[in-house]
Amino acid sequence: MSDRFDSFFGQALAILFALGLGALVILTVDESPMRVLVTLLNGAFGSPERIAGTLLQTTPILICGIAACISFRAGLFNIGIEGQLFMGGFWATWVGFSFNLPPALHLLLAMAAAVFAGMAWIAIPAFFRARYKTNEVVSTILANYVAILITSYLTINWFKRSGGQSETPPIFESAYLPELFSFSRLNWGLIIGLALALAVHFFFTRTSRGYAISEMGANPKFAEYGGIDIKKQTFLVLIASGAVGGMAGGVEALGVHHRFMEGFAPGFGFDGVIAALLANGNPIGTIFTALFFGALRSGSLLLEVDTTASREIITVIQALIILAVSAQITIRRKASDSTAGERRWKF
Amino acid sequence: MSLAIELKSITKRFGSFVANEDVNLAVESGKIHAIIGENGAGKTTLMNVLFGLLQPDEGEIWIDGEKKSLPNPAAAIAAGIGMVHQHFKLVPSLTVAENVFLGMEIRKGGLIDHAAQIKKTAELSKQFGLQVDPNERVGLLSVGIEQRIEILKVLARGARIIILDEPTAVLTPQESRELFQTLRGFVAQGMTVIFISHHLEEVMEVSDNVSVLRLGKNVASRPTAELTKSDLVQLMVGRLVSFDRLPRTPTAGKTMLEVEDLWCRDDRQLQALRGVSFGVRAGEIVGIAGVAGNGQTELAEVLSGLRPSSHGAIRLDGRAITGLTARDIRAAGVGHVPGDRLVRGVDRNASIAQNILMGRQDKSPWSKHGIIDRGYLQEQTQTLIKRFDIRAQGPQSTAKSLSGGNIQKIVLAREFTGGGNCLLIDQPTRGVDIGAQEQIHGEIMRQRDAGKAILVISVQLDELIRLADRILVMFGGTIMGEISGDRVDEEEIGMLMAGVIPEPRSNTVGAA
Ligand SMILES: Nc1ncnc2c1ncn2[C@@H]1O[C@H](COP(=O)(O)OP(=O)(O)OP(=O)(O)O)[C@@H](O)[C@H]1O
Ligand SMILES: [Mg+2]
Repeated sequence: MSDRFDSFFGQALAILFALGLGALVILTVDESPMRVLVTLLNGAFGSPERIAGTLLQTTPILICGIAACISFRAGLFNIGIEGQLFMGGFWATWVGFSFNLPPALHLLLAMAAAVFAGMAWIAIPAFFRARYKTNEVVSTILANYVAILITSYLTINWFKRSGGQSETPPIFESAYLPELFSFSRLNWGLIIGLALALAVHFFFTRTSRGYAISEMGANPKFAEYGGIDIKKQTFLVLIASGAVGGMAGGVEALGVHHRFMEGFAPGFGFDGVIAALLANGNPIGTIFTALFFGALRSGSLLLEVDTTASREIITVIQALIILAVSAQITIRRKASDSTAGERRWKF
Repeated sequence: MSLAIELKSITKRFGSFVANEDVNLAVESGKIHAIIGENGAGKTTLMNVLFGLLQPDEGEIWIDGEKKSLPNPAAAIAAGIGMVHQHFKLVPSLTVAENVFLGMEIRKGGLIDHAAQIKKTAELSKQFGLQVDPNERVGLLSVGIEQRIEILKVLARGARIIILDEPTAVLTPQESRELFQTLRGFVAQGMTVIFISHHLEEVMEVSDNVSVLRLGKNVASRPTAELTKSDLVQLMVGRLVSFDRLPRTPTAGKTMLEVEDLWCRDDRQLQALRGVSFGVRAGEIVGIAGVAGNGQTELAEVLSGLRPSSHGAIRLDGRAITGLTARDIRAAGVGHVPGDRLVRGVDRNASIAQNILMGRQDKSPWSKHGIIDRGYLQEQTQTLIKRFDIRAQGPQSTAKSLSGGNIQKIVLAREFTGGGNCLLIDQPTRGVDIGAQEQIHGEIMRQRDAGKAILVISVQLDELIRLADRILVMFGGTIMGEISGDRVDEEEIGMLMAGVIPEPRSNTVGAA
C-alpha cells in the first residue's frame, strides 16, 4: 500500500522537477514559462473543440500504452508498438478500400485485419523471445523500422491513390469508426481505449491467467516453480500486446485518417510506451498519463501561434520527464532492498 | 566493564504494530553477545535500528558511552558499527576485492587503484583469518565464502562492533565452526560481536552474554554461562520443547516415489548427481543427509521438474515422470519446498494471499471460470495463517514485511495443503525458531501419517534424526549409505558424509 503511494508520489515529484527544468529551458529562449503553461492549458482544454482535440490525440497513446502495459506486467518489453500500429493501420485501410461490404461487418473485418497485422508483426520477436530468450527489446525496436518502411513501400508502389501524394485511396464509409460529436473527429476509438484499460486491469487483478502472468513478471523463478509455462505465456503475452498495438493502428486509420499515408502516426507507439512506464504498468494509471501526453501534444499546436516558443519545446519537456522519472525509479530501487523478485518493469 | 552499546527504551512501530517495545540492551565491549527469540520477535528490526536503517519511534542509542543519533547506515558506520545482513548484497560480476571496496573505492589519479584494493583485501583476509582470493569473481562462489566477503566489507569500513543477522542459517556445520573461530578472533582483538541465531547449541558454545526477545520485548539479558539450553527455550517460547525423535507407528505402504540411476549437472555444468537410486514409500519419511553442496538441492530440483536429468528414471506411483515439466509434476501430486525460499519460494512483493494462490490459481474453488474467488482465497489464507502460526498483520501483508521464519511458513503452508501424495522438502526449518520448528516437524509427521511419501533434505542431522524413518547420506552426487532413523550412529553418518564408507558395501541403495 505505502509502496504504491511512494511510487505515485515519487513519480509526481519527478514530473514536477522536469517541468521546472522545462521552465528554465523556456527562459533561455526569452519566453515566460507562465505564458507557455497558460497557452498549453488553453490549447489543450480551452474549448469543447480543443478538449475533443486533446482526447483525439490521447486515444492512440492510450491504446498503445495498454499494449505496453500488457507486456510490462509480464516482465517483457514490447517496444515495437509503433511498428505494430503502422502494420495495423495499413491493413485495416487495405480492407477498408479494397472491399465494399455492409457497414458493421466491414468495420469489424477491417478492425480484425488490424489486430491480426499487429499479432503477425510481433510473432517473430515473440517466438524468438519465448523459445531462445532473444532480447525482445532489440528485436521489437528493429521491427519498427521495417514496418514503417514496408508500409510506406506498399503505399507508394502498390496502392497509391491515382493523382495523389504518397497515400492510399480513402476507405469506404462503411468501414468508418463512428464519430462521437459533430464538431470533432473524436471517435469511438476513445471508448475502445477506455474499455481496454478496464478489461486489462480486470484481467491482471482478478483472473487466474492474469495472476499467473503478473507473477511471471514479478519473479519468473517463482512462477516456473509454481508450474507456470513460461515459454507459452511469454509468447501469448507478446502476441496479445501486438494485437492491441495493431488495434491502435486500426483505430487511427478507421477513425481519424480514413486512409493510410506516409508518416501515418508520429510517435504514438513510443509515447504509449512512456505513458505505460510512467503509470508503472497500471492500465488505469495509463489513462491519465496518456491524457497528459495527449494534452501536451494538442496544447503545443497553439504554442507557436501565441508565443515565441517553438513546438519542439514540448519534445524537450517530454525528454526531461523521461529522464527525471527513470532517475527517480532507479533511486527508489537502489534504496529499497532489491533482492530476488523485484518487478522487472519497474526499471 | 565498559559498554560498547547501550540501547535505552527503544520502541519501533510499523503502523499500529509494535515490533520493538521499550527494549533496553547493554552490550559489553570485547564480548560476543547473542540475541535470540522467536520468528517475528523483532531481532532484525532492533539491529536495523542500531545500524541506522530504521529510525526508532522512542529511545536512545549510546555507543562507547556517547549518545548518538543514527539517521542512516553511513552514520552507524562512522560510529564503528558494521552489519552483515541475513541476505547478502554482492555483485556477482565483480571480483572479491571490487565487492569489498564497492562504494568506497581506493582511487589514484581519479581511477580505481585495483592493485591497492587487492593488496588491502589480502591483508584484511590474512589479519582476520578469512580466506578468500581477492581476484576471483563472486558469481560462482559458495555461500560460505560470500559471507566471508560480506564480513570483509564490514572490516574494510573500519567496524569495531559487528552485527551478524542469522549468519549460520545458510552455512554448513563445518563453515559455522570456521565462522566462530573468526568471531573469537575478533573479540581477541578487542572488537565486539552481536549475532542472531536460532541454533541454541551455537549460542551456548560461542556467546558470552545472551539476550532473549519475545514479542518485541527484551525478557532476559544474562551471561550465557548462567543458563542452560532448556532455560533459553523456556525464556524464548515460554514452554518446554522436546528435541527427541518423534514417536511413530510404522505406516509405510507401497513405494510411491522411485528414483533409478539418476544423473544431472549443476549450474556450472559439473556433474551434480552421479547415479542416485532410492525409493520412498507412502507414509514414510526418507531423510537426505550430507554436507551442503553434495547434490541434495539438485536432487530436489530434478525430482520437481525444475532441472533436467541427463540419465535415469523417476517414477511416481508406478508412472514415469522423468522429463515432465514442473507443471505436470505438480499436477501429478508432488509438492516442493525449495531450498532457497526468497528466490523460488515466494514473490516478496506480493501479499501472503497471492503467495498462497501459486500453483492452484486454475483450480476450483480457488477460481471459477478463470476468475479468482477472492473471498475464498482470503478465507483460506486466514485459516492457513492460523494453522501454521504465521505472524503477520493479515492476508494482505506483503511477504517481505514478514520476518524470515514466517516467510518459510508461507511456503510450507502452501505446499503442505496442495493435495497430492508426495512432498519434497529442502531445509524445512532453515531460519525457523525452535517453537515453530516443533510445529513444522509435527506438521510433517501428520503428512506422513496421512500416507504421503516424504523426502526431507537437511544439513542439520538432529532434524533428520527427529523426523526420518530412514536416512540416506549423500556425498559427491552419490548415496554413500543408508541408516535406519531409530538406530543412528552419528559417527557412521559423519564418515559417510565425508565420503568414507565405514565397511565394504555397495555404493547405492536399491529401491526399497
Ligand atoms: N517494514 C515492515 N512493515 C511492517 N511490518 C514489519 C516490517 N518489518 C518487520 N515487520 C514486522 O515486525 C516483526 C518483527 O520482524 P523482525 O524481522 O524483526 O523479526 P525477527 O525477530 O528478525 O524474526 P526472524 O527470526 O524470523 O528473522 C514481524 O512481525 C514483522 O512482520
Ligand atoms: Mg530476522
